[in-house]
Amino acid sequence: MMSGRLRSLAGWAAAFLGLSAVSFVMASYPLELYQKMLLVVTLAIGFNFLFGISGQIAFSHIAFYGIGAYAVVILSHRLGLPLAVALAGAVAICALLAAVVAIPATRLEGFYLALATLAFAQLFIVAVSAGGKLTGGDEGISGYQLPPLFGAKLAGAAYTPVIVFVLLATLGLILRFDRSWFGRACRAVRDNPLAAQAMGVDVARTKIVVFVLASTLAGVAGMAYAFLNNFISPPIFELDRIFELLFMIVIGGTGRHAGAVAGAILLYSVQFAVEPIVGKFHPLIYGLVVVLVILFAPKGLMGLWDAAAARVRASRGRAP
Amino acid sequence: MAELGELLVSAVAAGCIYGLMALAYLLILRPTGIINFALGEWAMLGAFAAVAASGDLLLPALQLPHAAAFAVVLVVTGLIGALVEVATVRPLVERGAPLLSPILALLGVLVVGLQVGTLVGGTEALPSPPPFGFRRVELGPFAGTPQSYYTIAVTLGVFIAAWVFFERTIWGKRFEAVAINRRAAALMGINLRQVGLLAFAASGMVCGVVGMLAAGASGAFYQMGLPLAIQGFTALVIGGVGRVEGALLGGLILGLVEALAARYLPIPPTLVLGVPLVLLILFLLVRPTGLLKAREGGA
Amino acid sequence: MKVSGTLIRLTAGAVAIAAVSTLPALAADPIKIGVITDETGRAAFYAQPVTEGVKLAAKEINAKGGILGRQIELVIEDDGGKPDVSATKARKLVDAGVVAFISNSSSPATQQAETVSLETKTPHITPANSGETLATELKNPYFFQLGPLASTQIKTLMSYTRTRKFKKVAVVGDNSGLSKIIADVFEKSLKGNGIEVAVAEIIPMGSRTAVPQMQKVRAAEPEAIFQAGIVGPQMAQFFQAYHQLGMKQPILASFNLSIPSYLKVAKDMMEGVAFIDAYDPDKPKTKEFIALYKKEHGDEPFSLPGYGYDGLHFIADAIVRAGSTDKEKIRAAMASTKGWSGVMGAKGATVNLSDEDRRGFDPEGAVVRLIHNNNHGPAIHSGTK
Repeated sequence: MMSGRLRSLAGWAAAFLGLSAVSFVMASYPLELYQKMLLVVTLAIGFNFLFGISGQIAFSHIAFYGIGAYAVVILSHRLGLPLAVALAGAVAICALLAAVVAIPATRLEGFYLALATLAFAQLFIVAVSAGGKLTGGDEGISGYQLPPLFGAKLAGAAYTPVIVFVLLATLGLILRFDRSWFGRACRAVRDNPLAAQAMGVDVARTKIVVFVLASTLAGVAGMAYAFLNNFISPPIFELDRIFELLFMIVIGGTGRHAGAVAGAILLYSVQFAVEPIVGKFHPLIYGLVVVLVILFAPKGLMGLWDAAAARVRASRGRAP
Repeated sequence: MAELGELLVSAVAAGCIYGLMALAYLLILRPTGIINFALGEWAMLGAFAAVAASGDLLLPALQLPHAAAFAVVLVVTGLIGALVEVATVRPLVERGAPLLSPILALLGVLVVGLQVGTLVGGTEALPSPPPFGFRRVELGPFAGTPQSYYTIAVTLGVFIAAWVFFERTIWGKRFEAVAINRRAAALMGINLRQVGLLAFAASGMVCGVVGMLAAGASGAFYQMGLPLAIQGFTALVIGGVGRVEGALLGGLILGLVEALAARYLPIPPTLVLGVPLVLLILFLLVRPTGLLKAREGGA
Repeated sequence: MKVSGTLIRLTAGAVAIAAVSTLPALAADPIKIGVITDETGRAAFYAQPVTEGVKLAAKEINAKGGILGRQIELVIEDDGGKPDVSATKARKLVDAGVVAFISNSSSPATQQAETVSLETKTPHITPANSGETLATELKNPYFFQLGPLASTQIKTLMSYTRTRKFKKVAVVGDNSGLSKIIADVFEKSLKGNGIEVAVAEIIPMGSRTAVPQMQKVRAAEPEAIFQAGIVGPQMAQFFQAYHQLGMKQPILASFNLSIPSYLKVAKDMMEGVAFIDAYDPDKPKTKEFIALYKKEHGDEPFSLPGYGYDGLHFIADAIVRAGSTDKEKIRAAMASTKGWSGVMGAKGATVNLSDEDRRGFDPEGAVVRLIHNNNHGPAIHSGTK
């Protein structure tokens, strides 16, 4: 038991060190892609929990990414609060807003929830664009940066550990929730809310907790993003990004953490790889692939992987 | 009150577009339960088809008169609807996939549609000539452009046809039967495949009407799809998904609220953008089934 | 012995290759210059034509032997109009070894790419962006803005209308980022000059009509309307509502109306509209550019390709003056540009830069043109005097 926990702790530590260290050998463009990819993976894990595991079609995930980013920057650089206060305050704002949205919205079914959260996401953009000096309006906020930590400037590769920490914390937290009775409750609510209710699950409360958790985690990822490029503006958090995120989950394998990670890594890096060939039309390929995946491989990459692994095991079993 | 007359005409014309989009959703939603968010892109493709038919895109030699261009647009968008149904929706429905699957697949279709539209149409706004030109036309206390009156007239025509279809034709009854109980309808001998195909094709054609009217008003634009999809759904939520008249009512209410807010609400213009969104959220929270209830029972 | 045909062909080929490889111009490494453009996003319809101008200039310079004996190689990246992608692409360009790069996408995208040019100490220009704070928000000595500032535009429009002594005007735009930036500057400048802005309206993208907004404008009884919009359908709706509501106020527009595509979508509705341009088709240098562009593309150029064309020529000139492709030397040469003139700008306008002020567009260099018969008319006014 003890060695098991130590082993898993060592595993997390190794992952943290490995994911951070590898960034120090990268040139600045691959480094930027890598760091942004880690953030996208973080968002995907949270969104998969919200949509894949708990069945909530919420289009507000990217908006909360933005709310986290804007909250921490406004609190620390427009209102001059110390960074620690700004970080805590931003988390609180995300959680509060998520609760305000979740309490009425989770009563809605299926695509109605999608639409309510879509409207909320649009309202966020409208509010930020109309925010004048406070939010920087359409031009956004730039020219700020993190204060040095123990004398070390957290920029470039040195910023990667922060992102990796957010990624691993998000993954760890979600895995914790998922592997407990709560995770089973989420799946029950997703598959059959009436049955879940009958079994004693507080459906409304479950939905709200999931929404607040996932959205707040997206907000924390947003805070990490804010100090990556030291520039935030409304177009970064626009609606088409949520379709991308959704596609990542579907192609990776809806409901699977590994699927979210695989889907995010694949779709994020492939667009830069195929750019010389298909150029600007990678969304076209993604859209087509999503349709094909839904039609022919509905369990996504993880489903294909599982099927392949099962065949390998079966063939091994048959060997004398 | 001449001002109100002007405002009402343009608000009603806008509301008609929203109502048509809502109808397009409804035509698919009722028999299949599927929300087709790609409808906005279908309207955009229809708009570019309208521009092409009048010779301003791809085929300069083609300069069809309005009625012929309209027919072309309807055929194009109807085919798009039918193709999408056969290729992406039917396989999923027939294998019993959960409702979410076709909805997600249609989001993929949305992205594909948007990209194809951008490739074909380019990033500039392209006009197609309005059939009755442009000028100020006064009808009693009302004043509008010929295109806005035309839009209202066409919309009324489409809605009357839709109402007759649902209330008076055998196909309409089949749609309703499938909407009420799919399995029972199949057991009674209704061909589910045909209903699905017709629903998607009809929805496509209604999007084509929107595209045609919009292209004649302010041009075809590669980014016009998403706003139309959202406006259509807002109208649907306001009016209620149960009845054809609900779609039009929802559209008109949205158009009027938008216009009155923009004209009379004393808030800065940057916040007026939020009014339709707030309206949608309000309805979703307070009355998600919309204003008009579905007719209960029926023979 | 008969010499085989293949052998003869091989030898001929080898001789040809040897001959070609001794040509000095092709022997040296190309000079890489980056371009960030928007090919599919919100800014595509104004970024792409600018990029075409850049390409034309590169072709022209290369045909004349290149710069410092080396050919220019353009490395073009697409940011989709997204500021964060623009920063990533800027990094890609720098890693690919560009000595300088050009930002043709939206002003916010350029602003974000600046974080990269500052960090990597790479010369960075925008030939067409008019964002007011691009060169001042971030203290970036590597960034130079050649586009006409929104403030220069409104000052030029105000001087053009000085004799008409407007006391009360309206500002109308749409809710795109660029339009709001321009409208904001217009409003501030007008108010700063003692002119009352009775109403500032926004026609949202996705609108089906501009009648409510224009009714509000009409009710405020302005003496003129300043147009800061850019998105095509909303521009069409603006002009339709203007005519439909029987409005007669003069319309004075930003440099966005120098894009000819509105003449199609708002056909016959723009007669007499005055707009800002930095492009005077009667200027000798501009006439040469028009001839060159027509030869290459077959149709008439307008402001946007002109900006791009000037942008690349500006960089080439700086490299020549620096005498090297060292980024610091190029930057220093750019920062000491005095009296440079290109296709853009009124007759006699020059581009001047310094370390203190990296906005090069001549404050007197904007012109006012009128739309007549669905065409852009000649420049009828220039400068702010």
